[in-house]
Amino acid sequence: MTISFLNTLLPMLVQGLKLTLLIAILGIAVGTVIGSLCGYALQGNNRITKTVANTYIWIIRATPLMVQALYGYFVIPKLLGIELDSTTVGIMVIALNSGAFISEIVKGALLGIDPGQKEASLSLGMSNLQVMFHVIIPPAFKAALPALFNQFIISVKDTALLSIITVNEITHMGQNYAALSFKTIETYTTIAIFYLVLLSILIVVQKKIERKMR
Amino acid sequence: MMNIMMRVCHLSKRFGESEVLKDINVNIAEGEVVCVIGPSGSGKSTFLRCINRLEMPSGGTIHYRGENLVHEAYDIRKFREEVGMVFQRFNLFPLKTVLENVMLAPLLTKKGTKSEVRKIALELLDKVGLVEKAHVYPSTLSGGQQQRVAIARALAMQPKALLFDEPTSALDPELVGDVLEVMKNLAKDGMTMIVVTHEMSFAKEVADRVIFMADGYIVEEGKPEEIFVAPKEDRTISFLSRVLPAAG
Repeated sequence: MTISFLNTLLPMLVQGLKLTLLIAILGIAVGTVIGSLCGYALQGNNRITKTVANTYIWIIRATPLMVQALYGYFVIPKLLGIELDSTTVGIMVIALNSGAFISEIVKGALLGIDPGQKEASLSLGMSNLQVMFHVIIPPAFKAALPALFNQFIISVKDTALLSIITVNEITHMGQNYAALSFKTIETYTTIAIFYLVLLSILIVVQKKIERKMR
Repeated sequence: MMNIMMRVCHLSKRFGESEVLKDINVNIAEGEVVCVIGPSGSGKSTFLRCINRLEMPSGGTIHYRGENLVHEAYDIRKFREEVGMVFQRFNLFPLKTVLENVMLAPLLTKKGTKSEVRKIALELLDKVGLVEKAHVYPSTLSGGQQQRVAIARALAMQPKALLFDEPTSALDPELVGDVLEVMKNLAKDGMTMIVVTHEMSFAKEVADRVIFMADGYIVEEGKPEEIFVAPKEDRTISFLSRVLPAAG
């Protein structure tokens, strides 16, 4: 076994890595925004926003991500008469998917804050918005961090499933190479190492932030 | 003559079926220290929480500076900036230092520049004897120290009056004294205070007026010596006989 295969495979995987990162970062960013809004709605008192959030979370949680990807790539464009490239669909799927799970994390974190915190802040003349941003969110964020990073890690790994709709991310690029070269051991080992390094970075970041917030 | 600061008329509060406050009528004068005593479930805390509308009253009026604050349209933040509250469980902000706890609300409500607010905050921490703890986090403090920080935090808004909701009930007995000492000094400085408390000796010593509440009503009120020495109502007599050590 030589390592000459890397001459072809590495550039392909680096290419794939760029798309994996793009989809993961944009998907998780949008998902975090969706999840924060829905999580807030879930613990609030507005029935309409609560129902909307619950319905969305129910549909996403009760269907597989791969089916969501296929649906977004093959069905939605037909239904709406629009064109969607696989990368856009990939970002949307990761965003909607992570958003649903992050909603539950955010809800739990917000509900975990002692109501006395809000009462004390209100009694000092703060507005509801000030209470939210200065008193509720910081400790809620701290409490949510481990679960949030768990979801981030899952979402990064979920991008591999997007190979099913021909998104040229790491896994799909690797599959292409393996199919042509038959070097399956080398290819999939290299792919695994790519993910291992990528996610290790995320894990280190998590530990750093958690240590800082203690 | 004393200036009336707050005028509470026919105040009532119900939670679903249960009527916690039935018909509360009381005036609070400027500079007055009023202690509210009574059995648990009598509505003392709810009364206090209705005053700054942490609970919206179901009926009645509370007039402050000529305005009725039992009204959705009334901007309760104005009132809350002028009338602070101290809670049984302190409710300090856990991720902020002691100094940051004291400074947060005055900064957000634009009570002054950062350096002005900081100066006042440090003075207040000194007043409650905790200036050396300014930069630690609340979790490292004892309950009594936390409550003194909470008092400094309320004072940082430079309030006209303070509401105390059983401020010593969550404290170990040996820590109660320091908190009461701080409250006594406030009373001496002329702060208007409404104190829901189980500390009968504090009420006796510091209160200008004691209110005895039971079953959502004010059963009896008067000077401490009247209430504690010569209560008139049966309900007051039986309550006091249970909470006061036998004379001797």
